[in-house]
Amino acid sequence: MVTGLSDREISADIIESCRRGDRDAFRALYEAYKDKVYSIALYFFHGDEAAASDMTQQVFLKLIRGIAQFRGEAGFSTWLYRLVVNACMDGARRAKPREMAATAAVVDVLAGPDSQERDFAREQTARSVRAALSALPVKFRLPILLRYFEDLSYGEMAAAMNCSMGTVASRLNRGHKMLARKLESLR
Amino acid sequence: MKDELRDLPLVKAPDSIWTSIEASLDTSIKPQPRTWRPAWAWAIAAVAVAVLGAAAWYSLTRPPKPAWDVVRVDGKLTEHGKIQVGEWLQTDSSSHARITLNNPSVGDIGTIDVAPNTRVRMVASRPGEQRLRLARGEISASVSAPPRLFFVDTPASTAVDLGCAYTMKADEDGNGLLRVTLGWVSLEWAGREALVPAGASCRTHPKIGPGTPYFDDASQALQDALGEFDFSSGGESAVDTVLAEARVRDTLTLWHLLSRVEPAGRLRVYNRIVDLVPLPKGVSADRALQLDPETLKLWREELAWKW
Repeated sequence: MVTGLSDREISADIIESCRRGDRDAFRALYEAYKDKVYSIALYFFHGDEAAASDMTQQVFLKLIRGIAQFRGEAGFSTWLYRLVVNACMDGARRAKPREMAATAAVVDVLAGPDSQERDFAREQTARSVRAALSALPVKFRLPILLRYFEDLSYGEMAAAMNCSMGTVASRLNRGHKMLARKLESLR
Repeated sequence: MKDELRDLPLVKAPDSIWTSIEASLDTSIKPQPRTWRPAWAWAIAAVAVAVLGAAAWYSLTRPPKPAWDVVRVDGKLTEHGKIQVGEWLQTDSSSHARITLNNPSVGDIGTIDVAPNTRVRMVASRPGEQRLRLARGEISASVSAPPRLFFVDTPASTAVDLGCAYTMKADEDGNGLLRVTLGWVSLEWAGREALVPAGASCRTHPKIGPGTPYFDDASQALQDALGEFDFSSGGESAVDTVLAEARVRDTLTLWHLLSRVEPAGRLRVYNRIVDLVPLPKGVSADRALQLDPETLKLWREELAWKW
């Protein structure tokens, strides 16, 4: 189950400790966000674990190395998710020539550890959603991942994606419609 | 369907990621090896200590000048040092250098590789601004700072880092070339701006500023015509060539051209863009042709998915 950020929002003290180079604070920061960043990357890169690990590492290294410059004018998570969006876009650009539609085999990597214990019908639904999500074009996949994994507001998503809230709303709306159509065809 | 999306499981990140991060952090803060110093250097150092004693009061009442770490390589000799605000670093034909954008107050935000025959100056290093001047030669920057904190001034433009990696060249006459390899760079000069994404380049010229950006895989004819248009009064015939040669990806170039061509030619540029990529919802043709900033921004955001 996806949870909101608020229960694990990083404190100003930890950010301040990070700015002073405190390694334990870096670890706390990493622990607070790692699964969300990794999950976005994994869904974004069609279940490619190596690509998701590389992207997660890249995002946190940039975050740690740049945190001394973080002045708190924008929210911390806005900056974090802007790094995530940039890393996803760069990864997508590099992968473009060889990118292919997600196959069931690749998307299966995304099955949760407890998937075998779940009800069969529910697992089938989740599998369909993952496949449909992976097949969405990048511009619609990214806002949906930010919305449902991070529970970001339209304003936060607009800041992370460097676009207007209207654009976010439009992409989410169109992404939902495309997802619904793909799910219909997968079922 | 929204409930199904909310039910997607969060995937646990492998422990190996933190191990790799720690290894990278350890590498970046590893102490530099001590370099051998000849005896005369120690003698000079002793004199310097005496001079420093006289200057102690002065230096104690002033905060230390910010400095970046520099490793300079000349043949097989490696020299470690620092460059302070206001100082120049120059490489000759057989040497190159690496600057680490780092000081106690800002941490490590990236590196600058300084190619042979290059002259750079450290202009500013404070929490909100890290600034380098490239007088001539070539640098390669890899920056992980938040956007708009690292700047490179050249004789014809300022490169504003938006989270990226790039090379910047400047020749003796002040002409420049920016080539972006990761992320985005904004080239700015006297109100003129060019947004350059990964895989694209942009030329700059003294007293004119940044030209029109183009993708490196655009046709040579398009690149030549842009040079004519930007810096040699190429006019309508150059625009004709650009329009004829443009592919979907070259809407990067066309979007910038829209506000640079004469008003009479604007409709032709607009028509070519919408031939290549249909006008997205929410972008008004009239407003785009009037160069309404918000409309152009929205249009660029949509076109950028093709870049």
